[in-house]
Amino acid sequence: MRTLVFIPAWNEEDSVVAVIGGVRERLPEADVLVVDDGSGDATAERARAAGALVASLPFNQGLGAALQTGYLHALREGYEFCAHLDADGQHPPAEVARLLEEVYADRADLVIGSRYREPGKAESDDYKPTLSRRIGTGVFRFFLTLATRQRFTDTTSGMRAANRRVMALFSERYSPDFAEIESLQLAVREGLRVEEVPVRMLERAGGTSFLTPLRSAFFIFKGMIVLLVGQFRPRHVGAGER
Amino acid sequence: MTPLTLAAASQSPKVHLTAQTRIIAAVLALFFMGLVLELIRRDKLQERFSVVWFVAGLGMLIGAAFPGLLTLVADAMGVRDTNVALFSIVLLFLLGLALNFSVTMSRQAAQITRLAQERALEGAREQAGSAENGGEPKRERLES
Repeated sequence: MRTLVFIPAWNEEDSVVAVIGGVRERLPEADVLVVDDGSGDATAERARAAGALVASLPFNQGLGAALQTGYLHALREGYEFCAHLDADGQHPPAEVARLLEEVYADRADLVIGSRYREPGKAESDDYKPTLSRRIGTGVFRFFLTLATRQRFTDTTSGMRAANRRVMALFSERYSPDFAEIESLQLAVREGLRVEEVPVRMLERAGGTSFLTPLRSAFFIFKGMIVLLVGQFRPRHVGAGER
Repeated sequence: MTPLTLAAASQSPKVHLTAQTRIIAAVLALFFMGLVLELIRRDKLQERFSVVWFVAGLGMLIGAAFPGLLTLVADAMGVRDTNVALFSIVLLFLLGLALNFSVTMSRQAAQITRLAQERALEGAREQAGSAENGGEPKRERLES
């Protein structure tokens, strides 16, 4: 059973080595690929020195394009399963292993790690989001649930596990600037089984979130348009077959 | 109808252009087309993007030569004021052109992304290959 764990990284030289080490420790059977999204720092060099395979995009292309690169690699190199997690250390590799269990057992095609699935439970309590993030999360949760008729709680989670059906779909069609949310809508529309699993996430080790209130508002507005347009996209027939 | 609107309607809408204005307009149109031609000649504009600009230049030239045509167009549009007809036509034309450019840009952005991804994965394959051959990619490259 071949598994690829890929890590999209943009200027994460301080944390990427620890993340690679964590994945190695928790998922010794998996190959590790770091997708360096045009970093200006030593992310690629350090990842390579840490023993990971590195795919360096020649210039910054955004998270969506970086994730798609990972899916494309997994598909072409014949991996049966793949998973990805953020490079900033927010995502504990042990939780990625739990997501992979779900796709190994063929209970779902795409599994999302959710911070919010069961609030009140100990595993959700470590994560304390800011107000603007909570509003955004609420709006997207509502509209994505409306669009897919499936309950989603953590729409922007960057911790996921997938099988080859998802690789085939995402390597062809993956929105470059609204990757997380639109990909869920797309997967459900194409008839794939998408499942959320509650996970524990940590506060980011360093750096601040890119979201200011104004940016959040724009982000939410853009997301709603993307979701609305996504409802009218033509379906691919082949991707959903099983 | 009030007498006022009747009076306005009976006033036949004519385009009044002096010979001087028409000459200036024609010269401008010719200059514009010459500019497009020069840009193509210097490889700053590709032929396939130039057609629409030649058509625009030609339209300007025709407008300068036969200003009466604008009256016909305005009549066909049901617009009394020829200026309104002219501006709305130009505005719609530019709007369509801008949208067309956005579509072209989107396609090219997708192509650039895929190109970058292919390059990145090629680099990863090179790294994987050199790791198998004992980790000396530079010498390998020199020999080949």
